[in-house]
Order: sequence, then C-alpha cells, then structure tokens
Amino acid sequence: MKKYFPHVRTLHLYIGLFLSPLIIIFSISVLVLNHTEFLKQVSPVKVLPDIQTHLDSIPNDTSDLVTAKLIIAKLGIKGEIEYIQRNADQISFPVSLPGLRSIVKVDRHTNEVLITQQNEGSLRATGYLHKMPGPHNVKIRGNSQLIKNWAFWADTFVYLLIFLSASGTFLWYFLKAERSMGTYAIILGVISFTCLLFLLFK
Amino acid sequence: MKSMKYLVFLKGLAHWNRRLHIHIGLFLLLFIWLFSFSGLLLNHSSWDFASFWEQKKETKTITNISVPKGLDSLQTVKRIMLNLNISGEISNLKMTPDSVDFRVSVPGHIRNLHVDLNKGICVQNEMRYNFWGKIKTLHTFNGANRENPALGANWLVSRIWIFSMDGIAIGLIYLCISSWIMWYNIRENYRWGTIVLITGFAVVIYFLFILGML
Repeated sequence: MKKYFPHVRTLHLYIGLFLSPLIIIFSISVLVLNHTEFLKQVSPVKVLPDIQTHLDSIPNDTSDLVTAKLIIAKLGIKGEIEYIQRNADQISFPVSLPGLRSIVKVDRHTNEVLITQQNEGSLRATGYLHKMPGPHNVKIRGNSQLIKNWAFWADTFVYLLIFLSASGTFLWYFLKAERSMGTYAIILGVISFTCLLFLLFK
Repeated sequence: MKSMKYLVFLKGLAHWNRRLHIHIGLFLLLFIWLFSFSGLLLNHSSWDFASFWEQKKETKTITNISVPKGLDSLQTVKRIMLNLNISGEISNLKMTPDSVDFRVSVPGHIRNLHVDLNKGICVQNEMRYNFWGKIKTLHTFNGANRENPALGANWLVSRIWIFSMDGIAIGLIYLCISSWIMWYNIRENYRWGTIVLITGFAVVIYFLFILGML
C-alpha cells in the first residue's frame, strides 16, 4: 500500500487546494445559517425600490413553471424560481440569485407587474448556495442554469471531500510519528460524535 | 541572529501547523462523513433507498395530565413536558386560557401536543422518521424558530449541537488555511498548486459574485 503514498499525497494536496475555497464557503454558510439574528445586525438585508411595470400578455395556457419562466424572461430577471403561487387573480413567485431575491407578482386581469427586490448580501448568498438544490420543490428545482451548474458542483464537492478525508486518513496511517496522537484524535472524535448523537436521540 | 531566531520560529510554526492539520482532520472525520452523506441525501430526494417521508410512523396517544392554572405559557409547557417525561426543541407555541398547543422536536421525532387545561387531557400526535430521515434532519437541525427567529434554540442539546456545528465549520476553515501554509512551504515541488488554488477561488467567485451581475 505504501507504494501509493506519493500519488495519494499529490492528489490529496491538489484536490485539497482546489476544494479549499469551496470548503470555506460552506463553513461560513454554516455559521450564517446558525446565527441569523447576529447576521441581521452585522449585515442587514437591503430592500430595494419596488418596480412596477406592465406585460403585453401572459402565456396562461401552459404550466405554471413555463409561465413563470416566460414572465421573468420578458422582465429580464435571472435566477432560480423557488416556488409558484397561482390563483384566478394573480401569479406570484420568488426568483433568487445568490444574494439577490426578487418577488414577482403579476395581476392576471390587467397584466400589471410588481417586482419587490432585496439585496441579501454575500454572507446570505453562501447560505443560499448551501441550501441549494435541497429537498424542497424537487419538481421545479433546477429551473435555472445557475442551480443546474451548482447542483453539479455541490455533488462534486461532497464526493471530493469524502476522498480528501479518506486519503488524509491513508496518509496519516503511514506517518509513524503521528500514529499514536492521531489514534487519540480519532477516538476523541468518535466519543464526541457518539455522545452528541446519544444526547440528540435519547 | 534575529533572522535565525525568526527562521526557527517559522519552522516550529510549520511543524505545529502540520500536526494540527492532521489531528483536527482525524478528529472531524466522522462529522465530515455525516454531513457529506446527509448533504447528498438532501440534494437527491429521488434516491429511493433513502426515502423517509412515506415511511414515517404516526401515532396518537391520549393521556391524563394535571397542570396547575395561572402559570405563563413557558412554565405550563415545561410542566407538561416534565409530566410526560419528554424533551426537545419547543416551537409553534399557542396558549389560550383553556388550552395549550405546541410542538416538541428532536431529529427524526416530532410531537404535536394539544393540552386541554380544563379537562386535564393531553393529545399527542407523534411522527417518527426512519434512519434516513434522522440522518437528513441532523443536517438541518439547528433549533431555528421559523415563526420567531429571535427566540433561537430553547433546548440545551440543540445549543450544544449548534455549538458543535460551529466548531466543525471553524475546524474546516482552519484545515483549509493550514493546507495553504503547508503547500506554500513545499510549493517548489508542487508547481501546479497556484493554478489549482486560483481555479478553486474562481469557481467560488463565479457562483457567489459574478452570477448576480451577469
């Protein structure tokens, strides 16, 4: 096995370097998602002025998602449509880009459009990316190229992270000087992990 | 002489940086695997083997309970939970002079309780997830109160879990920064490192900043 050491080390180093900015973003997003109240104080959401406009027509004879996509294409808004609410009078939906959230409301009788937007900032953008694509609204998720691409990167990130942790363990195993201390670190990790799960599930 | 001392200091720092990188990485091993795996499950709801919502178990139990009147909502809820010997994150609390409704959650186990304070009856609707459901909720469980985020987590174990997640996040950031230092010290042998690191940053900058401007 030791003959693989130099190759694994090279891969661990390069993949680790490539992944490190993504790991930092995911880690920052954990802090962002866990401390929303603190975030409100340090980086408040900026509400942008409302935009009122008018559409020539609304394609009402297609699915909700196609309708919403056509509307944002006409309005020149880009992003992922989160969900769609539609009734006899109105169709409304939020459209998100990392750090920018727009809510589009279209009056189905007059074709009047009201767009409310908020600039959520870079920190909340990390939280948004962390949660995407996620388990909700699976049927319409990935309706923008952004989330399609991000879903690929999110998966790649996880697989490479698992590789990094496995290859790191492999590399440590061959470092005799660190073996005993490393074993203690693993045991301590296992104990902490088990105790936490016990507390949560007991 | 001074520069010699400085070099020795730097060497010592590099030595401890490497040791910490190894040992913090090993300590976080199970946590990294848990969050990696649960992250994959959350992003792939279509994976049949990990479906949990359809397989959740729902039960309804009715028990007699005595709760003294005149307590505030939180004291009432705590008294009820003590009587029922349950614990967890409290949310959705609604109290009237005659009844109290609330939810108690732990990862994978949700209880919706309705207590009739006049009749002394408690109706518990329980929902239990399977193993996969528990794994998924561990990833998202942070005691956040959707109705009133300012309240934060009210269960001690949630607070410990949040603290642990913060610690894991900070540990991972340290692993990244320490890896840059380790690579910098041997950059002559790994010349592609600069390009690889810049590419990683480019991906992040594209998704975080550039997309919004395009």
